[in-house]
Amino acid sequence: MPRLSLMKLTSRERVARCLARRPHDRVPLFDSYWMETESAFVAGIGDERLGCGIESFPKEPRPDRLTLWEYFDFDLMHVGWPDQRLRLVEPTVLEETDEWVLRRDGNEAVLRWWKHKMGTPEHVAFGIDTPEKWARAKPLLTASRNRVRWHEFWPRYRRAKDARRFICFAGVEVIESVKDTLGHEMMCRALIKQPEWLHDVFETYCQFEIDMFRLCEAEGWECDGAFIYGDIAYKNGPFMSPQHYREFVYPCHKRLFDEFHRRGMPVIVHSDGDIRKLIPHFIDAGVDMIQPLEARANMDVRELAPQFGDQLGFCGNIDVTVLTTNDRERIAAELHSKMAAAMPYRGYIYHSDHSIPPGVTLETYRWLLDEVRRFGTYR
Amino acid sequence: MLERIAEAVIGGDEVAAPTLVTQALATELPARDVLYEGLLKGMTEVGRRFRDGEYFIPEVLVAAEAMKAGMAVLKPYLARAGVKPEHTAVIGTVRGDLHDIGKNLVATMLEGAGFEVIDLGVDVSPEKLIAACRDRKADVVGLSALLTTTMPMMEVAIRQMEAELSPRPAVIIGGAPITQEYADKIGADGYGPDAATGAELAKRLCRKR
Ligand code: B12
Repeated sequence: MPRLSLMKLTSRERVARCLARRPHDRVPLFDSYWMETESAFVAGIGDERLGCGIESFPKEPRPDRLTLWEYFDFDLMHVGWPDQRLRLVEPTVLEETDEWVLRRDGNEAVLRWWKHKMGTPEHVAFGIDTPEKWARAKPLLTASRNRVRWHEFWPRYRRAKDARRFICFAGVEVIESVKDTLGHEMMCRALIKQPEWLHDVFETYCQFEIDMFRLCEAEGWECDGAFIYGDIAYKNGPFMSPQHYREFVYPCHKRLFDEFHRRGMPVIVHSDGDIRKLIPHFIDAGVDMIQPLEARANMDVRELAPQFGDQLGFCGNIDVTVLTTNDRERIAAELHSKMAAAMPYRGYIYHSDHSIPPGVTLETYRWLLDEVRRFGTYR
Repeated sequence: MLERIAEAVIGGDEVAAPTLVTQALATELPARDVLYEGLLKGMTEVGRRFRDGEYFIPEVLVAAEAMKAGMAVLKPYLARAGVKPEHTAVIGTVRGDLHDIGKNLVATMLEGAGFEVIDLGVDVSPEKLIAACRDRKADVVGLSALLTTTMPMMEVAIRQMEAELSPRPAVIIGGAPITQEYADKIGADGYGPDAATGAELAKRLCRKR
């Protein structure tokens, strides 16, 4: 038997072992970027093969080109992202100025899209604000083929298979979905005032996500794991209490994660903010790894690994405010202390603590990735 | 009775709160006491629980509704008794920033602390802020920013207020990327890590003036 450090694993094997907290050769790599950073890096690298945006860069996707993930030879990729809007109405433009466009989307929510500013749109009004409206809208939330951007994801999927990367099916958990239809505030209010209604809304979105996953599977995708997105916390803690999580959300999470586990697919859950109070419930629900551990929200793998490292993996936590200093000594200290704390538990994937912001230079970033590979090799 | 009004707010009971306020007024309890010892006392406790991590956003939102329902009944009585809010606060999320959940909670807590609150919404320009401060004679301005790219707008707003308003209202700031250090650096009068602490701070600053 060759020693593990000498044995070359494929990305797929490496991440699978990492998610199972079994010995592997080095810390796997993965990352996300602010849109501005992505375009600056792509321009700075100047490689013709690049130009397929990870999410929204560039506006017109070029699926034939490579993503930064592939360029930097990361171990993990995701495909999927089913469109989960209700499709109540065809999206329409209500009003337009030089600054913004006011649109009604498929959820019948009115959104203001800023033309010269980056980011998600401002919610002006939500279409679904009563159980009656929900009852009318609910039958529209059905799985269908045209909810996936196949032309974008099939090439990415095939390249990932060829390169033996670990492929995640990417989807959204219920809190994230429901906030798009009801809005955060109405969702929070309904937890207390209209619990039956909210149970139904959560259950419906949960079933929809499961159906969409099965549909992708039937189309021929064989994914190795799941990447489930949902911002369920902010810097001071979860949006809802652990009791409310347990009562409303946990059953949906468990049902979704069980679906993946039945196929041997481990589950990575993304949430911003301080989710520490939910971690024990996440472990019960079957979460295998959390991402991205926002440092500013008091998430610190140096504390969490000793506490939960035997039951849970960690992806991220490298503080972007340290990275933007471009000071190698400080960055090395950040990297080394966090990686050294997490690596003994075998369940750590490198990722920033959210997304790489524009202040991080390409030079720093390249050096950082080399350093992760060097320091992250298990001996 | 006042205790029960406070309890109705704490429990987020938007039916009981106005009913109890009506009953209290019928027994000739002074409107001022119903306000301060009932509704606002309840909201102060809600703020404390939120700050200490016992309450989460849903509990605060329903408590705010209960307080507002009680307030709607009480308002005409307060007007007749000549009870006016002691201080006025203008609040908004800075230019370029659309996050408003935290800002709304701060507005609620300020109301709960007895302020008259002028909420300018999101993406608020310094000009709009200054106009509102002038019109409404604001004692305190609350600025919220959730993006590192929009937090510099706080400094811009403060400098512009200094140039155009005399005296400049006290300025308190908050939001995910904000720290006490940053507040000191840009010359804000205070920083609130959460909505309840922010309202306390606003009260303290007004008392000092
Ligand atoms: C919900 C959310 C959204 C929602 C906002 C919905 C809404 N109506 O507000 C949506 C989806 C629209 C959104 C959009 C975007 N978001 Co956002 N969002 C969040 C999230 C997850 C939670 C924020 C929140 O509502 N928290 C709940 C409230 C209660 O907390 P709070 O706002 O912090 O307020 C508390 C205290 O801070 C304080 N406080 C707040 N304001 C004030 C003011 C005063 C005077 C005082 C005293 C106290 C105080 O009291 C409050 C209660 O105790 C955060 C994550 C995070 N870690 O914060 C990201 C986050 C703020 N968003 C982020 C980003 C990048 C964006 C987008 C640019 C995303 C994109 N790429 O499209 C856009 C920006 C749009 C824009 N121009 O503003 C980043 C900002 C990163 C950065 N370095 O700047 C964050 C930090 C996520 C992350 N980890 O990167 N977002």
